This record gives sequence, structure tokens and C-alpha cells, in this order.
Amino acid sequence: MTTKRILFGLLVAVTATAVAPAQDGGKKEPTAKPVVVGMEMLPSRHFVVRAKINGEGPYRFILDTGAPITLINNRVGKKAGLTKKGGGGLFGGMNSVPVKTLEIGGVIAKDSMAVVMDHPTVKAISDAFERDGGPIDGIIGFPFFAKFAMTVDYQKKELTLTPNGYQPGDYMQDLMKNLMNSDALNKPRTVMVGALWGFEVGKEANDEKDGVTLLKVYAGTPAAKAGLKAGDRLLTLDGRWTDTVGDATIAASLVKPGKPAELKLTRAGKELKATVTPVKGY
Amino acid sequence: MRSLVLAAVAVGFAAPLRAADPPTHQIPYRLTDTKHVLVRAKLNGQGPFNFILDTGAPAVFVPKVVAKKIGLKVDGKGWGSFDQFELEGGVTVPKTRCRVEDLFQLEGMNGMGLAGVELHGVIGANVLARFKITYDFTADKLTFVTLDYNPPDPKGLGGKGGQGGLEVIGPVMKMMAGFMGIKPNFTVAPVGFLGIDADAKKGGVFVTKVFPDGPADKAGIKVGDKLDTVRSNSLDELRDLTRELAKTTAGQRIKVEIVRDGKTQTLNVKLGGGL
Repeated sequence: MTTKRILFGLLVAVTATAVAPAQDGGKKEPTAKPVVVGMEMLPSRHFVVRAKINGEGPYRFILDTGAPITLINNRVGKKAGLTKKGGGGLFGGMNSVPVKTLEIGGVIAKDSMAVVMDHPTVKAISDAFERDGGPIDGIIGFPFFAKFAMTVDYQKKELTLTPNGYQPGDYMQDLMKNLMNSDALNKPRTVMVGALWGFEVGKEANDEKDGVTLLKVYAGTPAAKAGLKAGDRLLTLDGRWTDTVGDATIAASLVKPGKPAELKLTRAGKELKATVTPVKGY
Repeated sequence: MRSLVLAAVAVGFAAPLRAADPPTHQIPYRLTDTKHVLVRAKLNGQGPFNFILDTGAPAVFVPKVVAKKIGLKVDGKGWGSFDQFELEGGVTVPKTRCRVEDLFQLEGMNGMGLAGVELHGVIGANVLARFKITYDFTADKLTFVTLDYNPPDPKGLGGKGGQGGLEVIGPVMKMMAGFMGIKPNFTVAPVGFLGIDADAKKGGVFVTKVFPDGPADKAGIKVGDKLDTVRSNSLDELRDLTRELAKTTAGQRIKVEIVRDGKTQTLNVKLGGGL
């Protein structure tokens, strides 16, 4: 009866589905030097970082890689001049607002979105531990940390942030689009591979073994040039397990044309490795 | 065949790491549609199962259905332990404690298919703390550096709780999914395969390569043909071709109009399942 109370990382994903689109117009930061920030670990194994919101604070936040949004409670939201927009939506009252600056240890993310609300789980954690260091006022999530190459070191209790130019994008809008298009959610997902490898994979329904079988290798393609043969069993592609046709498709789709990838295969019981560089093709 | 053998040899002679360097692993991940960091793991050799990396979770969590599937023993307090917890990309954590519990967050997302992939569990502090992990979404892998560190068990919050009273949300989301006609399908398949390369030039999109015995070859498409329309939509740029193919599946027949020697021909192409 202990940790079950404190898991909350993903909750925002669900509760936030009714929130207005979270625009994230963050620009690439000019400096790309790594900054090391000390963190505090709560007895519940949550990391706390100190963040300034629009120059106010610092306040204590939980760093949560499982949170697709940043969450700020009403108290701090008010101090930082973040005004909640009107309610509405499935979980009324939740709306995302732009935060001009969110600063951790001198690293600043500009124009990231956050939801201002009092969250019961955050409050429960704050109530349990505020005696030791003050209240906890929210969660730092994806819209902030995605803008950095972020290294989390539990042993040293350090966070290293290096701006990487990544644009977190507008996932809320995509979600809403998904919801509006329930037909697409009900169908199998077709994945555009985006590069041509030159083989076809398959697996019988009753085949429980690791990997998929190469049904066909097309002549003149990268797969043929690398020596792959029909009948080979493909176990991994670029380090990703290929235990189903879908898995192999996803793994293949994540390698760009021209980038060499290592494939692990078995042929007649022997393990082989091959390097295949997919080409542009359709 | 030769390059296959060469590759195998090259791997065999990879330079060993210096003794002082802690083991570093490149762990494949992808972002879900809900912007969660998804990795895959085999549990006691079974799976793979889809997990989210979550510094907001104190431990590994799996739902009851997964625990049952892999025959995990669960104690009276809802905890189990994997003999082997293997992450895709080659990290294996022995004797991993996990919490067996249905999380409303995952139930909700799965009920509506929001993540675009079925989520089986979360990986929290008891595994995350064993590595120095670098998250960089401009790269296609995460970097895990093994630490010589075994984190202490988490402490609870005391007082009443549960999941902050939000445990009801999962079932609500599932019910809503029902009302909205959503019955998520997590199957993945490649779009239809032509077996060609093409380039956009002045005047349209032209075939630059046809792989022998591929679907386009069988349908009679040749190098130099202009792809005038695919699925009755005209092509001006390569992305128009991508757009049309994105709507197809393997085995489907599509109409392709080509221009060769000034004459338009209509071809019927049976798309393949190739990658």
C-alpha cells in the first residue's frame, strides 16, 4: 500500500485530452552548452527541480518524463501571471496557456505551454513532503524537456540539459484530430517505410518463435547486395526486435535512406550479421 | 553473401571498450502519439511488451493481464519480480521488482487508442536509477550508461490515497471510446510496395529505377516512364507519390497512368508487401 499512491506520471496524458491545443512555438536556443542542475530526490523516488516561471520563483516541480504536458498549480500560476482561460471540455477548467519563460538552473525554455490546475496527485505528494522543503507546485513535462538533450543521473542526482533544437510540436491537436477520426483508430495502422530495403517479411499465425522470415529478396536492392536471402530469419533491424511484420515495418521506417543499419539474422541455425543501407525508393 | 560474412567479421573485431568506461547502450525508442517515450522489454523472455519511461513512477508497473500472461507470481501486496527484464537494445536487469496494478492512465489511453500503440506498462525509478539515461529526441536512440547504483525502495505518502481519486478515469475513457465508436486496432502493416525509385523533374515525376520482379516491374512500368496519375490523382512532386502510397496496403490493386513516348497508358499494379 505504498507506491500505489504515488504513481502519477501518465495521468496527465489522459486528463489532458480535453485541453485546448498546446502550441509550442519554442525557438532554438542560441547556446548549446550543457548545463548541470542539481536535483532533490523525494522519499517517493520523485525528482524535484527548482524552476522559475516567467521570472517568478523558484518553485519546486517534479520532473516527469511520463508527462506530456507541464502542470502548474493555481497558486503559482497566479503569481506568474498565467491566467486560466474559460473552462469547458471533458474535464472542465483545464486549458493550456503559454509560459514566456520556464527556467531551470539558468536554462531557459521560451514560449512553452503549460496547464494551470490544482492536481490531486501533485497535492498529495506536496502534502506528504512539504515539511522538508516547501510545497511542490507542479510537474515539468515534455514541452520543456524535449527541447534539450537531457541526461538524468539518479546516483549523482543531477540533470544535464543541452539545447538540441527539437520542436515539441502540437501533440494535443494531433490527439484531437485522432479522436475526431475514430475510423482511422479502428483500422490497422499502415506505416510508410520511407526507404527501400528490398525484402518482404512474413510470419505464420502459429509461429511463436523470435523474428520474422524473409519471404522474398528483390534483386539489385540493398538487401540483395548485402547478401540477404529468402528464408533467412530476421531477428533485429537497427537494434530493434522484429518479432512481427508490424515490428519489422516500424523498425525499417525509423531508418532514413542512406543510413547503414545492422541486421541480425539466422540462416540454417547460424547467427549472421549484415549491414544494409536502405536507399530512397517506393 | 560476401558482404554478409564481412559484416559478421567486422563486428567480431570491434574495438573493446577501455576498462574504465562503464557499459553504454543505445536503446531504441519511439515517441507515441501522446508524446510518451516508448521502449520495449521482454519479461522473463516473453514479449516484447511496450513500456513508457516514467520518472514520475517509483517502480516498474505492469497490469494484471500482463502478469497473468507471463505467469508472474504476485505477492499479497501486489508486487512481483522478474528474473529477467530485458530492454530492446541489449540491456538486461536481473531480479527486477514490479508492481502489478491496472493503471487508469494506460487503460484510458488504450481504450481510445490515443497513443497509437498498445501500452503495457511503465518503467519507473527502480530500473531508471540503474542507468544514466540521455533523452534526445533529435536522435533515434536513447543512451543508457550503466551505473553501479541500486536505488533504495520508495516510501509511500502516508494518509489516504490510491491514484489521487483519478482511478475512475480509465474506465470512463473506455466507456467514452465505446460511445464514440472507437475500438482501437493496434495492428501495423506496411503501405503498398512498388519496387521503384523516382525523381521529380520539370514536367512531373519520372521512374528512375525498377527493381526486377517487383510489383511495378510485373505491371510493366519501365525506367523513364512519367508517373502521370496514381489512384487517379496527378503527381507533381515526390510527396504526391508518397501521399498516394500512404493510403494503400499490400496486395491492393491500384491504377497508375504513365506516359511513355508521348502516349498515356493505364496500368493496373498489384502492390507488394515489401519494405
